[in-house]
Amino acid sequence: MKLRATLLAFSVLCSFAVPAAHAAGDQPYAGQTITVLLPPWGTLPKAMTDAFKAKTGITVDMQTQGWDQIHAKILTAMIANNPPADVSEVDWSWVGQFGAAGWFEPLQGKVPAPVVQDIASDKIFTIDGKLIAMPYNNDFRVLIVNKAMFDKAGITQMPTTMDELWADAVALKKSGVTYPIALPLSANEGTSTAWYLLTKAFGGDLFDASMKPEFTTPDSAGYKALDWIVKAAKAGLIDPASTGLTDVQVQAFLSGGQAAIDLAGWAGNLTVYNDPSKSKVAGHVVAALMPSATGHSRSFGLPEALGIPANAKHKGAALAFIDWWMQPAVQIEAYKALGDLPTSTAALSDLSKEGKLPSGDVLLKQIPTVEPLFAQGTPEWYPQFSAGVSSAINQAAKGQLTVAQAIAQIAAQAKKAQSQ
Amino acid sequence: MTQKPLQRWAIRVGTLILLAWSLLPILWALRSSLTRPVDLTAAKFSVLPPVFTLQHYANLLGAVSAFRGTVTQSVWPQFSRALLNSMVTSGAATIVTVFAAALGGYAFARLRFPGRDTIFGLVVATLAIPAYTVMIPLYRMMVSVHWVDTYLGVTLVYVSAFLPLALWLMRSVYRGLPISLEEAAWIDGAGRLHTLLRIVMPMAAPGLIAAAILTFLTAWGQFLIPLVFSPTLATKPLTVLIPEFVSKNYIDYGLMNAAGVLAIIPPLLLVVFLNRYLISGLTAGSGK
Amino acid sequence: MTALTLTRRRAQIGGKDAGLGLLLALPIIILMGSLVFWPLILTFWDSLHRVDPMRFGTPFVGLRNYLNLFSDSDVRAATINTLTYVVVAVVVETLGGIAAALLLNAMGPARKWMLAAVILPWALPPVVNSIIWLWIYNPSYGVLNGVLHMLGLISHNHVWFNDRWTALFLIALVHIWRMLPITAVIVLAGLQSVPQELYEAARMDGAGAFSRFGWITLPLVAPSLAIAMTQSTVLAFNLFDEAWILNGSSGDTRTLLIQVYMSAFQDLHFSYGMALSVLVMFASLAVSLIYVLRIPGETVSE
Repeated sequence: MKLRATLLAFSVLCSFAVPAAHAAGDQPYAGQTITVLLPPWGTLPKAMTDAFKAKTGITVDMQTQGWDQIHAKILTAMIANNPPADVSEVDWSWVGQFGAAGWFEPLQGKVPAPVVQDIASDKIFTIDGKLIAMPYNNDFRVLIVNKAMFDKAGITQMPTTMDELWADAVALKKSGVTYPIALPLSANEGTSTAWYLLTKAFGGDLFDASMKPEFTTPDSAGYKALDWIVKAAKAGLIDPASTGLTDVQVQAFLSGGQAAIDLAGWAGNLTVYNDPSKSKVAGHVVAALMPSATGHSRSFGLPEALGIPANAKHKGAALAFIDWWMQPAVQIEAYKALGDLPTSTAALSDLSKEGKLPSGDVLLKQIPTVEPLFAQGTPEWYPQFSAGVSSAINQAAKGQLTVAQAIAQIAAQAKKAQSQ
Repeated sequence: MTQKPLQRWAIRVGTLILLAWSLLPILWALRSSLTRPVDLTAAKFSVLPPVFTLQHYANLLGAVSAFRGTVTQSVWPQFSRALLNSMVTSGAATIVTVFAAALGGYAFARLRFPGRDTIFGLVVATLAIPAYTVMIPLYRMMVSVHWVDTYLGVTLVYVSAFLPLALWLMRSVYRGLPISLEEAAWIDGAGRLHTLLRIVMPMAAPGLIAAAILTFLTAWGQFLIPLVFSPTLATKPLTVLIPEFVSKNYIDYGLMNAAGVLAIIPPLLLVVFLNRYLISGLTAGSGK
Repeated sequence: MTALTLTRRRAQIGGKDAGLGLLLALPIIILMGSLVFWPLILTFWDSLHRVDPMRFGTPFVGLRNYLNLFSDSDVRAATINTLTYVVVAVVVETLGGIAAALLLNAMGPARKWMLAAVILPWALPPVVNSIIWLWIYNPSYGVLNGVLHMLGLISHNHVWFNDRWTALFLIALVHIWRMLPITAVIVLAGLQSVPQELYEAARMDGAGAFSRFGWITLPLVAPSLAIAMTQSTVLAFNLFDEAWILNGSSGDTRTLLIQVYMSAFQDLHFSYGMALSVLVMFASLAVSLIYVLRIPGETVSE
């Protein structure tokens, strides 16, 4: 009896050993489990993680954390010298900080070159020559309008300059849209990024190559952009309630049918705007190229990426996971399940050809014009600077500061942030 | 107890005001949880939702979820697990805290030992410490003993945070009791511990119940501590799960409100249950 | 029983007091020591250095972080905001809490439902609480404007958060709404411990309701009140969620703890943020001591 049991156990063990020996070659990390920390829109459905496991033998433990908390979470873990996960979220705005702190494993040379070629916006995640994360969510700014309202106001062509945009807004207001432009003006990050976008639209940049402010003189793009925003608010083109609303809340104006123009719209918004269960204007919303003073549309990207913390325990398996996610087929599946706009150019053109990308043709035209906000790489003082920007814009919109005073305050904040 | 008509009228008015103050915002949450996402951003204000819907509750409790119009994995496994975690961690924290405060409070109230008042002062002073101040070193400690993301670890952190208040409350309650009853027991030969358990505690019941309610509810509403010490669904409570219903382009207000409405049910039931013990211990024991 | 017997009995027990007392207090001492005091010392030590993950090394800088805090205009603005919240919150929560506790105390069988209703604001998850009030205050489709409009008090939608002091008050209101039950519960426990005989005796002596309140209730409830007010003070000093969710990082309504979060976790000037949090601790202690020392019976040892 005992002999039979032993023989049975032995044969069972052998049956495991044989496939294991076979798999060791093409599944070098089989049996490992990696933890992946991402916001809700990065949490892959079970079907996808199962497919990954079947391919590589690696089990994925997906940990979700709300967007507002994930930065604090990663920070707390890294300061305590504990890896938050094997793969974690890296937002474009954290690159300067995390790069300077050396918290993420450099990936250059480790991710295959064709993949890096295919993925747009990887430059945003390169600092000091080190590629610290690979982007998976390709959010960039584009102009989003309610075409039905435009038609009603008699506007036939999409605006290509900021002056045309102003004229269109005035016309929309006359045709019955009380507050045509949806733009956040509260003291939150969305307000700052809107100003950055309009600075680019006016043909300029925020900082020069040595990080000196370029927005301080009245004829500079940044100054003109802030002036435009404040004037628009005063002229009643923007709902006064926007001084208390974040970007996501302001989008409710467009989806609720009150506003006609989402001036700081993300490409990813389009799916929500055209979803009849969430939007009253589904089917009427289209994208257009960002207006520009120079005639060449410019936009910037706010992508999110996957990075490997420097003290992660399963770096090899983590890299396998990232490589897998960079494949066009996987990105297309993630788009269909979660709405994350692919970073792979191949995936994007496939989706557009299939007709699955709303306003796909416009998006594909905008993508080559998407630049990083900071050509030199996001500096480590960016978060501090950005908080000061939104505070100043908020006060200017409320009439507590003049445009000149607000610009001066922003410049002072930049100096303070850079010196610390 | 006879009450003058003016008093009764005052009580009625006061009750109405208190009810309105406490309940109206919650009723608004209930209303939002029964509203369709499309109507949540309506420009016109209306008291009742234009169209009633149970979809948010269906998403929370049901087998499937509708996310962005497509059917995806259900929220229920996460919601139910988070609910369980909230109950376990809040319950454990409450039991341990009240137990320690019941015994320790008596020690600080009636027993004399060296350093008593200094130690008590220091313990109570920790009430003033903001959570951020101790979070990182505490996190490092917990990581090194592998107690992060365990019920044990989170409970201990909660107890260290809530014990000072409970202790102070219990000591205050014990001190408020006339010592004559205890002295009578000692003269009869009863030991200190026996006196505490058989005679003092029943009289201190309101304090114990108040401490239990305070601790449970404070633990139930904790956010920062579990954010750091309960990163995964193994121990993640409702307070940390609910903000995850914010997606990049869309805040699911209906779902969040529905989750919030469901989240208030366990504490509500607990308070209704504990209330019967909140009667004055002195009136109960004074029928001698 | 003679007084002599009592004293002798007391003396017999006295020696065993210390043993039992320490035994009961020991777990508490160990727990608080290891989980609170030790990390606190470590943080304080950190605050005397420059701990900045983006920079190499952590040199000792003494009190420089603290000195810089005093000259930081953001910190100064946040201090004014926080003190405003503290004053408004403590006053309203104390008065409201006492009123609620008195009401609950006077109720009969209906009390359990009333108590349940009273604690609901506190039972609501903080993020849901904040979004409810975001909705209430929303200028376009919020309840506040909606109701005021229906009552004819305002003609067009008012943007509440444009004015700094209105914003401060409205945020304080959200905080008070959530925290008032705490004061109510603590004071209720205190009220429950007041012997009914005292009220009966006073009533027979002809004392009216207000006299009974002033001469019996208030003094006997004073220790509970000290506890409740201290808790209110500390919670108000630590106000974060309500201000953050309702008005972001705006300097108008930013609290000290938001400033701690921004310095330490957003800007990664870690030890700077920790120094500020240590100062917040001392400030809330100082304010609390004001009432604790004034209430007799709290510091007098037996």
